[in-house]
Amino acid sequence: MDPHPPPPADAGDTLRPHSYDGIQEYDKRLPNWWLYTLYGSIVFAAIYWFTYEIAGIMPSDTARVDAAMAKIAAAKMSSSLDVTNDAKFWEMSRNAVFTDAGRQTFNSICAACHQVSLAGGVGPSLLSTEWIHGGAPKEIFKTVNEGVPAKGMAAWGPVLGQKKISEVVAYVLSYHKEGEPVTLNPNKPRGVPAAPPGG
Amino acid sequence: MTGQKITIEFNDKVVRQFMLAAVLWGAVGMLVGVLIATQLNFWQANFGTAWLTFGRLRPLHTNAVIFAFVGNMMFAGIYYSTQRLVKARLASDFLSTLHFWGWQAIIVAAAVTLPLGLTRGKEYAELIWPINIAVAGIWVVFAVNFFWTLARRHEKSLYVAIWFYIATIITVAMLYIVNHLSIPTSWTHSYGVFGGVQDALVQWWYGHNAVAFFLTTPILGIMYYFLPKAAGRPVYSYRLSVIHFWSLVFLYIWAGPHHLLNTALPNWLQLLGMTFSLMLWAPSWGGMLNGLLTLRGAWGRLRTDPVIKFFAAGVTFYGMATFEGPLLSIKSVNALAHYTDWIIGHVHIGALGWNGFMAAGMFYWLAPRLWDRPLHSTALANLHFWIGTVGILLYGSAMWASGITQGLMLNATTEGGTILTYPNFLDTVNAIRPLMALRIVGGGLYLAGFVVMIYNLWRTIAPAQPVNGTMEVYAEAYAAGEEMGAAGSAFNAPVLFSVLGFLMACVWLFTGGWLNLLGLFGTILCVLLAIGHYQTRGGKWGEWYDKLLLNSLPFTVLVFLSVAVGGLIQIIPMLTIDRRLQTEDRVAAVYTPLELAGRDLYVREGCYLCHSQMIRMLVPDVMRYGDYSRLGESIWDHPYQWGSKRNGPDLARVGAKYNHAWHFDHMRDPRSISTGSNMPGYPWLFARDTDYASLSAKIRVQKTIGVPFPNWSPAMIDTLARDQAKEIAKDLREQGRYIAPDKEIVALIAYLQSLGKSNPVAAPAGAAN
Repeated sequence: MDPHPPPPADAGDTLRPHSYDGIQEYDKRLPNWWLYTLYGSIVFAAIYWFTYEIAGIMPSDTARVDAAMAKIAAAKMSSSLDVTNDAKFWEMSRNAVFTDAGRQTFNSICAACHQVSLAGGVGPSLLSTEWIHGGAPKEIFKTVNEGVPAKGMAAWGPVLGQKKISEVVAYVLSYHKEGEPVTLNPNKPRGVPAAPPGG
Repeated sequence: MTGQKITIEFNDKVVRQFMLAAVLWGAVGMLVGVLIATQLNFWQANFGTAWLTFGRLRPLHTNAVIFAFVGNMMFAGIYYSTQRLVKARLASDFLSTLHFWGWQAIIVAAAVTLPLGLTRGKEYAELIWPINIAVAGIWVVFAVNFFWTLARRHEKSLYVAIWFYIATIITVAMLYIVNHLSIPTSWTHSYGVFGGVQDALVQWWYGHNAVAFFLTTPILGIMYYFLPKAAGRPVYSYRLSVIHFWSLVFLYIWAGPHHLLNTALPNWLQLLGMTFSLMLWAPSWGGMLNGLLTLRGAWGRLRTDPVIKFFAAGVTFYGMATFEGPLLSIKSVNALAHYTDWIIGHVHIGALGWNGFMAAGMFYWLAPRLWDRPLHSTALANLHFWIGTVGILLYGSAMWASGITQGLMLNATTEGGTILTYPNFLDTVNAIRPLMALRIVGGGLYLAGFVVMIYNLWRTIAPAQPVNGTMEVYAEAYAAGEEMGAAGSAFNAPVLFSVLGFLMACVWLFTGGWLNLLGLFGTILCVLLAIGHYQTRGGKWGEWYDKLLLNSLPFTVLVFLSVAVGGLIQIIPMLTIDRRLQTEDRVAAVYTPLELAGRDLYVREGCYLCHSQMIRMLVPDVMRYGDYSRLGESIWDHPYQWGSKRNGPDLARVGAKYNHAWHFDHMRDPRSISTGSNMPGYPWLFARDTDYASLSAKIRVQKTIGVPFPNWSPAMIDTLARDQAKEIAKDLREQGRYIAPDKEIVALIAYLQSLGKSNPVAAPAGAAN
């Protein structure tokens, strides 16, 4: 068959005999590109269904996401820092590269509860030497990383990652001095409310 | 022509009424649209007033545009064209009047109840149950009036416009009734009978096909009448009408699950949703082709006739929207675009470009004929066209850029793909603010064009007298062999091949092993046999179809079967499986009474209109919000609250992430916690008392529809709720926030803190609680 038949100016240009309130209809052939789009999408649907549902060649969405997340977890582990080294954190707190990066993250994320001034709002003040969950750098890291769900501190590890949290810890430490007296007070009051209570 | 000559006068009064109502409600709907677009960018525009907040006005905008503007416009177009196409006056003046005033009463009721926060909590299905019953009733009035008119027609053969009207009437009735099945807890509140994934599936079967059968098929019918009339040209291709009509109504119904791609929805449904959306591309473009190519030979009038301008642009926008739709239904494209402004842009190309411009073209064509006076000003109509077109293009491109920008930012990762580049959701919101502002400009321009049209129509109509069309017709009896019975409708080559081929395809789709192969070969065999039969006896197919067009009842039955089958196959399996088998590995605990009260507040304030509760099976979603959502986690949710867009972050796992004080401050003044947030404050939640009294009725209804609440007495429900409220108020006090336990904010905090708490299950049995 000729793949490029001449344009069918013949049959299609005849009007159908019927007229509806004066509206008449030609009966032109359907454009080939339109037909091939229709047929192509039907064939694609069949192949797609076969690949995923019948043959099961492609991994399921669940398997795919689980594998990707496992890969991310592995990458994080292989490049992890020693977050138990207090001296390293103090060193970082004196380096402007780390504290500047930490300030950016802090002001974007942490300031919501702890305020840009670190004086505390919904969350406690980070300026005082009294700490609810421990004031050693490694303890501060743990609090940010794992959160304290019971007290409303979110676990930021999965979102921020180790590097950014370390920078934030360095930034907070830059408001403190290495070797300052640190006290543990689980009942330390929160900061002032951000706005007067009531509605 | 045989028979006696009679002169009929058409009922054009109801057409005029519907047209003017469409113009009025169109302006209202668009005005609310511009306001809520402003609210998204400027939180101050919520005015700190409950009934003016985005969450309550957004349903008003969507319902007004869909049901009030397009609804009234559609009734005007259908009634005007049907009377002329079937050569009969509308069957009953009483039903026509009842239809008009009933529909307007429904719109007024919606405009009052939605800002009051009375809602069912499902998009485009927000109206409360007494209004649902009224809508169904008025729709039946419309159907009876329409089919009764068909029964009295003097033109025996049904024109393609009428096919689309028939499909509209029966399909909307089916969708509306099923998606609104609910059990009342009071005169203004009810719970839908479907929950969780079932509710999601039914909702988008309805929601998507509201677009299909309320915003598309009736307008295609209107196009098939008004466009050739205005152009004075024959329709391009009758056989294209046949093919694209039947493929459109059959395929459309299946595409609903494309609103739930990459979610917890079972994969087979996602695949059907995606592939049927792709198959819809050609049938949709069939309508566009038949519209645009009908203008061949009339293109010169594009310069002079505003009606042709609006129709040509409207049909072109239809083509754009129906190309974009299948594109967005591809799972990987959807992963980027879903929940973003791209979807909002897509739907507005359809609503502003297709519905709005087809409506304008029709109004400009109708007004001079219904009032017998030429249009006041062609120049003003042209002005409307250009302002409107610029408005649509600004709106559309702003939303494309906004959606793609936000999607890319939300998905961006850094440090070897291990962490998110923008962990703070607000960074992505503030990045698109200029585009959100541009959207207000685009929408505002479109509204300005609409106002120009109102002025133009008013100057046309005000000094004129209404006139009713008349027509001379001949009473004609059916000739022998023209009537078709049940056997004639069912036993003929096209229907038999379609049914057999479809059954075989289903065998292939849903079975395994040898049966699967049988289905595949059966399908191929059916297709080959059908092609062979058509090649040799194609004339018979045409004769049969010509005869079918003389018989409206068999035609309607076949349309109904075509639209019903997709829903049956997708929804019935999900309804018949025990819900507890659909939990995957987690199941939600039933809500405590206070959490349920808080959940109803979440629904009342329309939180689902900006926040999803569905973490998709996508790496960026999991990194941002936590482990992907399981079906079991929303299993007891009536209504489901998976959401469809994210102006704010997902909330599926927000429970226990922050403390009570965080939510307390955030709900009163979001910016005290989240700098740069565009969320409105909800001060009234701190002043109003929680409605404990209704809880026992609500829990009784929830038990009726299958949620396994324990056997609490009303007194126990009250005690449980108050005790939990006191507990939360006590925690808040310790955190320095003082509030009476009975205030609504306490219930809302209880609900928010419950989100994402679920129990792992070993086996589906004994899953409850």
